[in-house]
This record gives sequence, structure tokens and C-alpha cells, in this order.
Amino acid sequence: MIPTHWFLILSAILFTLGVCGVLTRRNGITIFMCIELMVNAVNLTFLAYARQFHQLHGLIFVFFIMAIAAAEAAVGLAIFISLFHHRETIDVDEANLMHW
Amino acid sequence: MIEYAVFFFFAAVAVVFATVVVIHRNPVVGALSLVASFFSLAVMYVLLEAPFLAALQVIVYAGAIMVLFLFVIMLLNLQHQHEPATRPIQQFLGYTSAAAFGVGLIYYLTKYAVLQSPTTPFVAGAREIGVALFESYIFPFEAVSILLLAAIVGALLLSARAGKGPAQASVTAQVDARAEHLP
Repeated sequence: MIPTHWFLILSAILFTLGVCGVLTRRNGITIFMCIELMVNAVNLTFLAYARQFHQLHGLIFVFFIMAIAAAEAAVGLAIFISLFHHRETIDVDEANLMHW
Repeated sequence: MIEYAVFFFFAAVAVVFATVVVIHRNPVVGALSLVASFFSLAVMYVLLEAPFLAALQVIVYAGAIMVLFLFVIMLLNLQHQHEPATRPIQQFLGYTSAAAFGVGLIYYLTKYAVLQSPTTPFVAGAREIGVALFESYIFPFEAVSILLLAAIVGALLLSARAGKGPAQASVTAQVDARAEHLP
């Protein structure tokens, strides 16, 4: 049986890669994909701890996180389509429509 | 041990493809690499004795959500758009702070989170999850269904072109438009 902390370290690496992408990229869709990467890293942590402590709650939480990620992806991509119609770009530096 | 070989192989695959997502300039390549990364994470879920969630990972994440991403990339024709380079100061600060965060996270994990391996296996199939979902988690379950409905309505409203309102093309207009092309 593979020790739990190896899964946690893998999850930490994936989360760090996601943070790195969100901080350094300018393409809105790529930033969104990096957020999905971070969400998946957290899912892996939930499952690792669920196995470690024999809890069903971790699995249920992963189920809910998947549903919420689907909703988030739909709304976020709709926002980017709307932004593209207004500005012809999805560069997040150009997205200052709410700037006062 | 075959289990460890599988773990290390798919962990390497997941990390490499996640790196491609972060580095590559073409969003289509990024999206496809993310699909590969999600597949290897599904293998991790199988190793963690959660086969039901591994199936969900493949169907919902690699299947539905990533197809949505690819649809939007192709719809907006982004694969030919050149992404401007990030400012050097932002790149430097982003990489260093992310690296510091990652190193700190792994340091504290190896220091404090090294736990005794569980001796008895814990297998939770679809049945156990379903029973828990419809007994103790029935209220969050219903709340999530309402949230998904709100997300559908919000996505439709947001993605409609400004000025024209939400998708309002009537059925008869569509049928007429099609009839014109028929022989």
C-alpha cells in the first residue's frame, strides 16, 4: 500500500504548478486551466486523507467539488466569450471593463 | 512492487503534462495536455481505492469539462492568436513565489504529514457513496443541483451577444431557414 504522504507530495507539486500558471500567464483560458489543475490537486488530497482515515466524507466532498468545477467552468468560459465579443481578446491585462 | 511502478509512472506523466499546460503558448496543446494529466490522476484515484470517483474523473473532467474548454478555444479561434509575453518582473515574481510556496509546502508535508500507512483497505464503491449522498448529504446534493441550474442560466445569459439578448431565435425561424436550403 502506497504511503499517503507520497500522494500529498504529488498533490503539492500539481498545486504549485497551477499557482505558477495563474501568476505568470496572460491568456485567460490558460489561467482557467491552471485553476482546474489546482482543483484536481485538492481532490487528490481529499482522497488520500479519505483512505488514510477511512472516512467517506472525503469522497463525497470530491463529488461535490467536481459538480462545482463544472458549474464554474461553464460560467467562466461564458464570461470569456462575452469578453471576447467586447474586446476581441482574452488577454486578462486588457480585461479592465470594471475599472473605474 | 507493481503498485509503486504504476504510481511513479503516472505521477511523472501527471507532472510533465501539467508543466506543459503552464509553459506552452498554444491553448489547444495546453487543453489536451490537461486531459492527459487528468487521466493519470484518475489512475491515482484507482490506486487510492476510489474506482467510482476515477470513473467520474474521466467522464466529467476529461470528458465534459475539457471538451467545453476545447469548444471555447476553437469557437474563439484562439489557437492562432499570439499570446503577448508576460512582463519580466511579473514572470520573475510569479516563478519565485510559486517555487517558494511549493518548496515550503513539500517541506512541511514531509516534516509533519508522514503518517502510518493504513493496514486495512478502505474500498468505497458507488453504493456506499450513493447511500451517504442521499442520507446525510441530501441537502448539499439538492443545493448543488440548484447551483448547476443557475450556472446554466448564467452561462446562457453571459455568452449571448450584447444587444441581441439571450438566444431567442424562434423554432419556426430556424425551420424556415433550413427549408430554404432543401431541394
